Amino acid sequence: MRDNGRVSDEVLIEMRAACKRFRTWKRKEGVRGFFANFLAREWQTVSALEGIDLTIRRGEFVGLIGANGAGKTTLLKCVSGITPVSAGSASMFGCDSFELRDEHKRRLSMVMGQRSQLWWDLPAIDSFRLLREIYPVPREVFERRVAESAERLGVADKLQRQLRNLSLGERMKMEIVGAFLHEPDVVFLDEPTIGLDLVSRETIRRHLVELNRSRGVTIVLTSHDMEDIEETCRRLVILRQGRMLFDGALVDLMARVYDRRAIEVHLEPHSAGWEEALAPLLEPFSAKLERSAPLSLLFSVPASAVQRFVPFLFERFAIRDLAIERHPLDMLIRQIFQERGPGAGAAP
Amino acid sequence: MSSLLRDLRLLGIAFVYELRKVTAWRAGFVVRELMRSMWRPLVMIFVYRAMLLEPDARLGGYDFPGLVGYLILAASFEKLLFHQRGLDLADQIFQGYVTKYLTMPVRFFVLALARFVQHIAVQGFVLAVLWILGWLLLPQWWPQPHSAAAALSALTLVLLGSYCAFLVCFVVNVLAFWLDVIWTLSAMASFVFSFAAGVLVPVSIMPEWLAGTLRWMFPYWAVSAPVELFLGRLDPSALSHGVAVLLAWIVALELVRELAWRRGLGRHVGAGV
Repeated sequence: MRDNGRVSDEVLIEMRAACKRFRTWKRKEGVRGFFANFLAREWQTVSALEGIDLTIRRGEFVGLIGANGAGKTTLLKCVSGITPVSAGSASMFGCDSFELRDEHKRRLSMVMGQRSQLWWDLPAIDSFRLLREIYPVPREVFERRVAESAERLGVADKLQRQLRNLSLGERMKMEIVGAFLHEPDVVFLDEPTIGLDLVSRETIRRHLVELNRSRGVTIVLTSHDMEDIEETCRRLVILRQGRMLFDGALVDLMARVYDRRAIEVHLEPHSAGWEEALAPLLEPFSAKLERSAPLSLLFSVPASAVQRFVPFLFERFAIRDLAIERHPLDMLIRQIFQERGPGAGAAP
Repeated sequence: MSSLLRDLRLLGIAFVYELRKVTAWRAGFVVRELMRSMWRPLVMIFVYRAMLLEPDARLGGYDFPGLVGYLILAASFEKLLFHQRGLDLADQIFQGYVTKYLTMPVRFFVLALARFVQHIAVQGFVLAVLWILGWLLLPQWWPQPHSAAAALSALTLVLLGSYCAFLVCFVVNVLAFWLDVIWTLSAMASFVFSFAAGVLVPVSIMPEWLAGTLRWMFPYWAVSAPVELFLGRLDPSALSHGVAVLLAWIVALELVRELAWRRGLGRHVGAGV
């Protein structure tokens, strides 16, 4: 699906050694702790972002991933000017993010998958009218954009229906129609496909890629769904505990994905499973055991070794079923997490 | 100037949006908007009846029909006062819905202000209907204004007082950036407000030391004083005193609101919101 447009040299988002730290107090347990919480609080500094260097140019489609609490949303907040950085700098459109003026804010938009901005009891079109005034968009342009976007996302006939009567997928599509009404230059999407069915996810991804390609809109997408990332982004940023673990082209990462296969083996009940002693036998195939359960094993193998490795598996184990798949991106990302410690910086 | 015009225009659109929101949920509209502040005065009518059983019994200069008139007026004016349930800002802060607005080229307060305008419009309409019905159906009980000027003075004070109440609601809601007991605070504030405003008991019949103190508070000038102005029990010159007190409160509350909002945003950092 990835058919993104051209990236220009114009830098829209820039972070230099950006840190975000919070001061919070440690809650103590028990009765003594209860009094200590009032009388002698123990303060600590929590680091949500640490030393982030990030440059995003016009037209890029960047995937931002990381575990819960990795700092994805904090990064979005710092960049979009909701909260200031504690050290370093964060800028957007060449202006300090926390000092963004209205003319800058008109150029950005934010969609939060779990926080609908449209009013539950009203049809989406009513909320769009308010957005039209906020941004502001001329009436005829507004009508055209709503009609086009809603048509493309397949919700044109739902505009007049109360939001509460729409499905989750339809509501998210409405959010996206609203987010692009003012044709922003930068859009932050925070888990836009969370909880959606396959068809809705596909439709939304296709729509986003189309907007990125045709309008050159810069999109920063956070998602736990690797399919979202694979099918839309050209660049991937991985965060872990507030630090940037990887920043690079998705295509480079995908080359590693295409080079390997995941082989999932289901064993016969009561048969011999995996033993540590078997590990050296994997070396000739450059295979790695990714996951081991009593009756199932998951191996990662170079594509070129599959033909030799499968007979080896049948020889060693009583196999009930076997599946060979392309190496999933999330497995690779897990490897990156394992290879680089929490203190590691971004890839060059 | 253009920024002010833009805010006013946005206020107009947001007002219509809020109006649509408040009327979209019909059961909620009837219970929360139409019937709000009707029950307590109704109960107090029975309480006063029990207290003033003798035909010529009086309470602080009020006879029973006078107190009924007071309660009708106090309930009417209380309907115009902005209340905590009218603003769900604390929920928006807790649940992170406020985040997206912060990236928009808009002063968030303008959107909140639309709630206030919507409240006045809806309650003003409800009151107009209620008063027409009252005059038609209960002419002997329904209070008459001392003069047109008295009615206008009372309304001016109520509207200014309602704006003060709105600012207090806003500030209490903004405390959600720090605290998670906003609804408890709101309920407490609402109780204190009702008492200080003289919704159930006229402030003028309270002990002098207490009444004297309450006269420096905005709730008194939002309900009790307008009722007595309307009935001609308060000298018309009280209007200027009331306006001065209310304006002073508005200035102070605006400063607190601005400060609380700025400091609160600095703390708006919760993960995932």
